[in-house]
Amino acid sequence: MYGSGILAGLGVTLKHFVDSYVDDLKFLGQRYYNPASLNQRQGTRGKGVFTVQFPEEKLPTPERFRFIPFLLYDEKPDGTHDDRCTSCGICAKVCPPQCIWIKRSNDPVTGRPVPQPAAFYIDIDICMNCGYCAEYCPFDAIKMDHDYELASFDRTSAHIFDKQKLDKPVAYYASLRPTDYAAEELVRAEEEAKKAAKKADAAAKAAAPATA
Amino acid sequence: MIDELSNPDIPVPDELKASVTITTLDKIYNWSRRSSIWPMVFGLACCAIEMICTAASRFDISRFGMEVFRATPRQSDLMIVSGTVTKKMVPQIVRLYNQMPEPRYVIAMGACASGGGPFKEGYNVVAGIDKYVPVDVYVPGCPPTPQALLHGLIKLQEKIDSQSLRDVRWYKSETNEPVPVPVLGPDLMDPRQYQLIKQRALQAAAQAEA
Repeated sequence: MYGSGILAGLGVTLKHFVDSYVDDLKFLGQRYYNPASLNQRQGTRGKGVFTVQFPEEKLPTPERFRFIPFLLYDEKPDGTHDDRCTSCGICAKVCPPQCIWIKRSNDPVTGRPVPQPAAFYIDIDICMNCGYCAEYCPFDAIKMDHDYELASFDRTSAHIFDKQKLDKPVAYYASLRPTDYAAEELVRAEEEAKKAAKKADAAAKAAAPATA
Repeated sequence: MIDELSNPDIPVPDELKASVTITTLDKIYNWSRRSSIWPMVFGLACCAIEMICTAASRFDISRFGMEVFRATPRQSDLMIVSGTVTKKMVPQIVRLYNQMPEPRYVIAMGACASGGGPFKEGYNVVAGIDKYVPVDVYVPGCPPTPQALLHGLIKLQEKIDSQSLRDVRWYKSETNEPVPVPVLGPDLMDPRQYQLIKQRALQAAAQAEA
Protein backbone atom coordinates (compact mmCIF):
# COMPACT_ATOMS: atom_id res chain seq x y z
CA MET A 1 0.00 0.00 0.00
CA TYR A 2 1.32 3.43 -0.89
CA GLY A 3 1.98 5.74 2.03
CA SER A 4 2.35 3.08 4.72
CA GLY A 5 5.93 4.19 5.31
CA ILE A 6 4.80 7.78 5.84
CA LEU A 7 2.15 6.60 8.30
CA ALA A 8 4.70 4.52 10.21
CA GLY A 9 6.99 7.54 10.41
CA LEU A 10 4.21 9.80 11.58
CA GLY A 11 3.36 7.13 14.16
CA VAL A 12 6.89 7.35 15.57
CA THR A 13 6.61 11.12 15.78
CA LEU A 14 3.23 10.84 17.47
CA LYS A 15 4.65 8.34 19.96
CA HIS A 16 7.44 10.78 20.88
CA PHE A 17 4.91 13.58 21.15
CA VAL A 18 2.72 11.58 23.55
CA ASP A 19 5.83 10.38 25.42
CA SER A 20 6.90 13.94 26.12
CA TYR A 21 3.64 14.52 28.03
CA VAL A 22 3.57 11.13 29.76
CA ASP A 23 7.16 11.61 30.89
CA ASP A 24 6.37 15.02 32.38
CA LEU A 25 3.65 13.39 34.47
CA LYS A 26 5.94 10.57 35.59
CA PHE A 27 8.46 12.97 37.17
CA LEU A 28 5.75 14.94 38.97
CA GLY A 29 7.32 18.31 38.35
CA GLN A 30 10.82 17.09 39.18
CA ARG A 31 11.76 16.57 35.55
CA TYR A 32 13.94 19.66 35.15
CA TYR A 33 16.77 21.23 37.17
CA ASN A 34 17.42 17.95 38.91
CA PRO A 35 20.69 16.04 38.33
CA ALA A 36 19.10 12.61 38.79
CA SER A 37 16.38 13.22 36.23
CA LEU A 38 18.88 14.83 33.85
CA ASN A 39 20.94 11.67 34.03
CA GLN A 40 17.90 9.53 33.30
CA ARG A 41 16.73 11.74 30.46
CA GLN A 42 20.16 11.60 28.81
CA GLY A 43 20.45 7.83 29.25
CA THR A 44 19.27 5.07 26.94
CA ARG A 45 15.96 4.81 28.78
CA GLY A 46 15.21 8.49 28.44
CA LYS A 47 11.88 9.35 26.86
CA GLY A 48 10.21 12.52 25.86
CA VAL A 49 12.04 15.83 25.66
CA PHE A 50 15.73 15.29 26.32
CA THR A 51 16.89 18.88 25.95
CA VAL A 52 19.53 20.07 28.40
CA GLN A 53 18.16 23.28 29.91
CA PHE A 54 21.62 24.77 29.73
CA PRO A 55 22.16 27.69 32.08
CA GLU A 56 20.15 26.01 34.85
CA GLU A 57 21.32 22.45 34.31
CA LYS A 58 24.57 21.34 32.76
CA LEU A 59 25.70 18.03 31.37
CA PRO A 60 28.17 16.45 33.77
CA THR A 61 31.62 16.66 32.21
CA PRO A 62 33.50 13.39 31.86
CA GLU A 63 36.55 13.10 34.09
CA ARG A 64 39.01 13.36 31.22
CA PHE A 65 37.24 16.25 29.53
CA ARG A 66 39.82 18.81 28.40
CA PHE A 67 39.42 22.52 28.09
CA ILE A 68 41.89 25.27 28.98
CA PRO A 69 44.97 24.28 31.03
CA PHE A 70 45.62 25.57 34.55
CA LEU A 71 48.61 25.61 36.91
CA LEU A 72 48.77 23.67 40.14
CA TYR A 73 50.17 24.78 43.45
CA ASP A 74 50.65 22.92 46.71
CA GLU A 75 49.46 24.65 49.83
CA LYS A 76 52.11 24.72 52.52
CA PRO A 77 51.08 24.30 56.17
CA ASP A 78 51.71 28.01 56.78
CA GLY A 79 49.23 28.97 54.05
CA THR A 80 51.71 30.09 51.37
CA HIS A 81 51.56 28.70 47.86
CA ASP A 82 54.25 26.48 46.47
CA ASP A 83 54.07 26.42 42.66
CA ARG A 84 54.71 23.07 41.12
CA CYS A 85 55.84 24.78 37.93
CA THR A 86 59.60 25.13 37.63
CA SER A 87 59.44 27.21 34.43
CA CYS A 88 61.35 24.54 32.50
CA GLY A 89 59.42 25.49 29.37
CA ILE A 90 58.64 22.00 28.12
CA CYS A 91 54.92 22.81 27.85
CA ALA A 92 55.67 25.92 25.80
CA LYS A 93 57.89 23.86 23.51
CA VAL A 94 55.42 21.04 22.87
CA CYS A 95 52.40 23.33 22.56
CA PRO A 96 51.31 22.88 18.90
CA PRO A 97 49.69 26.33 18.53
CA GLN A 98 52.38 28.00 20.69
CA CYS A 99 49.98 29.67 23.10
CA ILE A 100 52.09 29.41 26.27
CA TRP A 101 54.55 32.13 27.22
CA ILE A 102 56.74 31.74 30.28
CA LYS A 103 59.12 34.22 31.88
CA ARG A 104 61.72 32.65 34.12
CA SER A 105 62.63 34.27 37.39
CA ASN A 106 66.11 35.00 38.66
CA ASP A 107 67.33 35.39 42.18
CA PRO A 108 67.57 39.16 42.78
CA VAL A 109 70.86 38.83 44.69
CA THR A 110 72.89 36.24 42.83
CA GLY A 111 71.12 36.54 39.45
CA ARG A 112 70.87 32.81 39.14
CA PRO A 113 67.69 31.25 37.73
CA VAL A 114 65.15 30.16 40.32
CA PRO A 115 62.81 27.24 39.54
CA GLN A 116 59.74 29.48 39.72
CA PRO A 117 57.97 31.21 36.84
CA ALA A 118 58.04 35.01 37.06
CA ALA A 119 55.16 35.17 34.62
CA PHE A 120 53.06 32.55 32.91
CA TYR A 121 50.61 33.42 30.16
CA ILE A 122 48.23 31.27 28.16
CA ASP A 123 46.29 32.80 25.30
CA ILE A 124 43.09 30.80 25.62
CA ASP A 125 41.90 32.03 22.24
CA ILE A 126 44.84 30.21 20.65
CA CYS A 127 44.81 27.10 22.85
CA MET A 128 43.45 24.08 21.00
CA ASN A 129 42.72 22.01 24.13
CA CYS A 130 44.99 19.17 22.99
CA GLY A 131 46.39 18.49 26.46
CA TYR A 132 50.00 18.02 25.34
CA CYS A 133 51.23 20.42 28.01
CA ALA A 134 49.59 18.33 30.73
CA GLU A 135 50.88 15.15 29.13
CA TYR A 136 54.50 16.29 28.90
CA CYS A 137 54.87 18.20 32.16
CA PRO A 138 57.40 16.26 34.27
CA PHE A 139 56.21 17.92 37.50
CA ASP A 140 52.42 17.46 37.09
CA ALA A 141 52.23 21.22 37.28
CA ILE A 142 49.87 21.95 34.41
CA LYS A 143 46.55 20.18 33.94
CA MET A 144 43.46 20.57 31.81
CA ASP A 145 40.48 22.31 33.35
CA HIS A 146 36.79 21.45 32.95
CA ASP A 147 35.49 25.01 32.96
CA TYR A 148 34.16 25.88 29.52
CA GLU A 149 32.14 28.99 30.36
CA LEU A 150 34.81 31.47 29.35
CA ALA A 151 33.18 33.58 26.66
CA SER A 152 33.74 37.30 27.06
CA PHE A 153 33.53 40.61 25.25
CA ASP A 154 37.20 41.40 25.00
CA ARG A 155 39.97 39.16 23.87
CA THR A 156 43.06 40.99 25.10
CA SER A 157 41.89 41.78 28.62
CA ALA A 158 39.90 38.65 29.40
CA HIS A 159 41.31 35.87 27.27
CA ILE A 160 45.02 36.07 27.91
CA PHE A 161 45.26 34.26 31.21
CA ASP A 162 48.09 35.27 33.52
CA LYS A 163 49.50 33.29 36.39
CA GLN A 164 46.98 34.67 38.85
CA LYS A 165 44.09 33.40 36.76
CA LEU A 166 45.75 30.08 35.99
CA ASP A 167 46.83 29.16 39.51
CA LYS A 168 44.58 26.63 41.22
CA PRO A 169 45.14 24.43 44.26
CA VAL A 170 45.94 20.74 43.98
CA ALA A 171 42.72 19.98 45.86
CA TYR A 172 40.78 21.44 42.93
CA TYR A 173 42.57 19.08 40.56
CA ALA A 174 41.90 16.15 42.89
CA SER A 175 38.19 16.93 42.83
CA LEU A 176 38.24 17.35 39.05
CA ARG A 177 40.03 14.11 38.12
CA PRO A 178 40.14 11.77 41.11
CA THR A 179 41.38 8.76 39.10
CA ASP A 180 44.31 10.53 37.48
CA TYR A 181 45.15 12.27 40.72
CA ALA A 182 45.29 8.99 42.68
CA ALA A 183 47.51 7.35 40.06
CA GLU A 184 49.89 10.32 39.97
CA GLU A 185 50.08 10.52 43.75
CA LEU A 186 51.01 6.83 43.85
CA VAL A 187 53.88 7.40 41.42
CA ARG A 188 55.04 10.46 43.35
CA ALA A 189 55.00 8.55 46.65
CA GLU A 190 57.03 5.75 45.07
CA GLU A 191 59.62 8.19 43.76
CA GLU A 192 59.82 9.92 47.11
CA ALA A 193 60.40 6.56 48.80
CA LYS A 194 63.14 5.72 46.28
CA LYS A 195 64.80 9.08 46.85
CA ALA A 196 64.65 8.62 50.62
CA ALA A 197 66.13 5.11 50.32
CA LYS A 198 68.97 6.45 48.15
CA LYS A 199 69.69 9.21 50.63
CA ALA A 200 69.72 6.74 53.51
CA ASP A 201 72.04 4.50 51.47
CA ALA A 202 74.44 7.36 50.75
CA ALA A 203 74.40 8.41 54.38
CA ALA A 204 75.13 4.86 55.50
CA LYS A 205 78.01 4.63 52.98
CA ALA A 206 79.45 7.94 54.15
CA ALA A 207 79.24 6.82 57.73
CA ALA A 208 80.70 3.34 57.09
CA PRO A 209 84.37 4.31 56.25
CA ALA A 210 84.53 6.61 59.27
CA THR A 211 83.76 3.78 61.63
CA ALA A 212 85.99 1.25 59.80
CA MET B 1 9.01 37.54 32.58
CA ILE B 2 6.84 40.44 33.76
CA ASP B 3 8.97 40.70 36.91
CA GLU B 4 12.09 40.82 34.80
CA LEU B 5 10.75 43.69 32.70
CA SER B 6 8.95 45.73 35.33
CA ASN B 7 10.53 48.87 36.69
CA PRO B 8 10.94 48.59 40.47
CA ASP B 9 11.25 52.38 40.88
CA ILE B 10 7.59 52.95 40.11
CA PRO B 11 5.30 50.95 42.41
CA VAL B 12 2.08 49.50 41.00
CA PRO B 13 -0.89 49.12 43.39
CA ASP B 14 -1.54 45.52 44.35
CA GLU B 15 -5.03 45.42 42.83
CA LEU B 16 -3.61 46.46 39.44
CA LYS B 17 -0.60 44.14 39.39
CA ALA B 18 -2.45 41.50 37.37
CA SER B 19 -3.14 43.85 34.48
CA VAL B 20 -0.62 46.68 34.64
CA THR B 21 3.15 46.68 34.40
CA ILE B 22 5.46 49.63 34.10
CA THR B 23 8.70 49.26 32.23
CA THR B 24 11.19 51.37 30.36
CA LEU B 25 11.40 51.58 26.61
CA ASP B 26 15.01 50.42 26.79
CA LYS B 27 14.08 47.30 28.67
CA ILE B 28 11.30 46.22 26.37
CA TYR B 29 13.35 47.11 23.28
CA ASN B 30 16.32 45.09 24.49
CA TRP B 31 14.16 42.24 25.72
CA SER B 32 12.50 41.86 22.35
CA ARG B 33 15.82 42.12 20.52
CA ARG B 34 17.68 39.63 22.64
CA SER B 35 14.83 37.12 22.56
CA SER B 36 14.83 36.90 18.78
CA ILE B 37 18.42 36.95 17.59
CA TRP B 38 18.43 35.31 14.23
CA PRO B 39 21.81 33.89 13.25
CA MET B 40 22.98 33.44 9.71
CA VAL B 41 23.40 29.99 8.18
CA PHE B 42 27.11 30.20 8.06
CA GLY B 43 29.63 27.51 8.90
CA LEU B 44 33.30 27.58 8.09
CA ALA B 45 35.00 24.59 9.69
CA CYS B 46 34.72 22.03 12.47
CA CYS B 47 33.21 24.57 14.90
CA ALA B 48 30.20 24.65 12.59
CA ILE B 49 29.45 21.04 13.57
CA GLU B 50 29.23 22.09 17.21
CA MET B 51 27.06 25.02 16.19
CA ILE B 52 24.72 22.60 14.40
CA CYS B 53 24.65 20.47 17.56
CA THR B 54 23.70 23.57 19.53
CA ALA B 55 20.84 24.18 17.17
CA ALA B 56 19.62 20.57 17.37
CA SER B 57 17.13 19.35 19.92
CA ARG B 58 19.56 18.30 22.64
CA PHE B 59 20.76 21.82 23.39
CA ASP B 60 18.03 23.57 21.46
CA ILE B 61 19.02 27.10 20.59
CA SER B 62 15.30 27.90 20.16
CA ARG B 63 14.98 28.20 23.92
CA PHE B 64 16.71 31.54 23.39
CA GLY B 65 14.67 32.45 20.32
CA MET B 66 17.57 31.86 17.98
CA GLU B 67 16.39 28.83 16.07
CA VAL B 68 15.57 30.77 12.90
CA PHE B 69 18.83 30.39 11.01
CA ARG B 70 18.41 32.76 8.09
CA ALA B 71 19.94 31.95 4.74
CA THR B 72 20.41 35.61 3.87
CA PRO B 73 22.37 38.35 5.65
CA ARG B 74 19.49 40.78 5.05
CA GLN B 75 17.32 38.98 7.59
CA SER B 76 19.89 38.01 10.19
CA ASP B 77 21.06 39.80 13.34
CA LEU B 78 23.96 37.61 14.29
CA MET B 79 26.91 36.17 12.46
CA ILE B 80 28.51 33.23 14.21
CA VAL B 81 31.96 33.00 12.66
CA SER B 82 32.35 29.31 13.36
CA GLY B 83 35.76 28.12 12.34
CA THR B 84 38.97 28.89 10.53
CA VAL B 85 38.80 32.02 8.41
CA THR B 86 40.99 31.51 5.37
CA LYS B 87 42.32 34.43 3.38
CA LYS B 88 40.23 33.29 0.47
CA MET B 89 37.05 33.36 2.57
CA VAL B 90 37.52 36.67 4.35
CA PRO B 91 36.29 38.93 1.49
CA GLN B 92 33.01 37.00 1.43
CA ILE B 93 32.65 37.23 5.22
CA VAL B 94 33.21 40.98 5.22
CA ARG B 95 30.77 41.37 2.35
CA LEU B 96 28.16 39.35 4.23
CA TYR B 97 28.78 41.46 7.33
CA ASN B 98 28.28 44.66 5.32
CA GLN B 99 25.02 43.29 3.96
CA MET B 100 23.60 42.62 7.41
CA PRO B 101 21.26 45.35 8.65
CA GLU B 102 21.96 47.12 11.94
CA PRO B 103 21.81 46.14 14.78
CA ARG B 104 24.18 43.32 13.93
CA TYR B 105 26.38 41.21 16.12
CA VAL B 106 29.34 38.95 15.52
CA ILE B 107 30.43 36.01 17.63
CA ALA B 108 33.91 34.64 17.05
CA MET B 109 33.44 30.97 17.84
CA GLY B 110 36.48 28.89 18.61
CA ALA B 111 40.21 29.49 18.66
CA CYS B 112 40.64 30.00 14.91
CA ALA B 113 38.01 32.70 14.52
CA SER B 114 39.11 34.52 17.69
CA GLY B 115 42.87 34.51 17.31
CA GLY B 116 43.87 32.19 14.50
CA GLY B 117 44.25 29.20 16.80
CA PRO B 118 46.78 26.63 15.65
CA PHE B 119 46.98 28.39 12.28
CA LYS B 120 47.79 31.79 13.71
CA GLU B 121 50.97 32.00 11.66
CA GLY B 122 49.64 30.10 8.67
CA TYR B 123 50.22 31.43 5.19
CA ASN B 124 46.57 31.12 4.23
CA VAL B 125 44.68 31.84 7.44
CA VAL B 126 43.49 35.10 8.94
CA ALA B 127 44.67 35.29 12.56
CA GLY B 128 41.34 36.30 14.03
CA ILE B 129 38.28 37.71 12.31
CA ASP B 130 38.45 40.74 14.64
CA LYS B 131 41.13 42.16 12.34
CA TYR B 132 38.35 42.79 9.80
CA VAL B 133 34.95 43.01 11.47
CA PRO B 134 34.11 44.11 15.04
CA VAL B 135 33.54 41.07 17.24
CA ASP B 136 31.11 41.25 20.17
CA VAL B 137 31.74 37.97 21.95
CA TYR B 138 34.73 35.66 21.82
CA VAL B 139 34.07 32.01 22.65
CA PRO B 140 37.27 30.08 23.37
CA GLY B 141 37.60 26.36 22.78
CA CYS B 142 38.74 24.10 20.01
CA PRO B 143 35.94 23.62 19.27
CA PRO B 144 33.74 25.08 22.00
CA THR B 145 31.21 22.53 23.21
CA PRO B 146 27.56 23.34 22.53
CA GLN B 147 27.24 24.47 26.14
CA ALA B 148 30.22 26.80 25.76
CA LEU B 149 28.61 28.32 22.67
CA LEU B 150 25.33 28.72 24.54
CA HIS B 151 27.26 30.53 27.25
CA GLY B 152 28.63 32.82 24.57
CA LEU B 153 25.13 33.48 23.28
CA ILE B 154 23.94 34.29 26.81
CA LYS B 155 26.86 36.71 27.07
CA LEU B 156 25.69 38.33 23.85
CA GLN B 157 22.21 38.68 25.34
CA GLU B 158 23.82 40.39 28.34
CA LYS B 159 25.56 42.77 25.99
CA ILE B 160 22.30 43.57 24.21
CA ASP B 161 20.65 44.16 27.59
CA SER B 162 23.33 46.66 28.49
CA GLN B 163 22.73 48.81 25.40
CA SER B 164 20.52 51.85 25.56
CA LEU B 165 18.31 53.42 22.90
CA ARG B 166 19.93 56.77 23.69
CA ASP B 167 23.37 55.86 22.46
CA VAL B 168 23.00 52.96 20.04
CA ARG B 169 24.82 53.82 16.86
CA TRP B 170 22.14 52.68 14.42
CA TYR B 171 19.74 55.49 15.31
CA LYS B 172 22.37 58.18 14.99
CA SER B 173 22.25 60.48 12.00
CA GLU B 174 25.76 59.79 10.78
CA THR B 175 25.99 57.13 8.12
CA ASN B 176 27.57 53.84 8.88
CA GLU B 177 30.58 53.28 6.68
CA PRO B 178 30.80 49.71 5.39
CA VAL B 179 33.89 47.73 6.26
CA PRO B 180 36.17 47.79 3.20
CA VAL B 181 36.20 44.37 1.58
CA PRO B 182 39.74 42.99 1.65
CA VAL B 183 41.22 41.89 -1.62
CA LEU B 184 43.17 38.70 -1.90
CA GLY B 185 46.71 39.73 -2.80
CA PRO B 186 49.22 37.80 -4.86
CA ASP B 187 50.52 34.55 -3.45
CA LEU B 188 53.79 34.58 -1.59
CA MET B 189 55.10 32.28 -4.28
CA ASP B 190 53.74 32.03 -7.78
CA PRO B 191 54.43 28.48 -9.02
CA ARG B 192 54.70 29.78 -12.60
CA GLN B 193 57.73 31.80 -11.60
CA TYR B 194 59.42 28.84 -10.01
CA GLN B 195 62.41 28.78 -12.37
CA LEU B 196 63.08 32.49 -11.82
CA ILE B 197 62.77 32.17 -8.04
CA LYS B 198 65.15 29.23 -8.05
CA GLN B 199 67.68 31.15 -10.14
CA ARG B 200 67.57 34.13 -7.80
CA ALA B 201 67.84 31.93 -4.73
CA LEU B 202 70.93 30.25 -6.20
CA GLN B 203 72.43 33.65 -7.05
CA ALA B 204 71.79 34.90 -3.52
CA ALA B 205 73.37 31.77 -2.06
CA ALA B 206 76.45 32.20 -4.31
CA GLN B 207 76.76 35.84 -3.28
CA ALA B 208 76.50 34.93 0.39
CA GLU B 209 79.28 32.34 -0.03
CA ALA B 210 81.58 34.74 -1.90
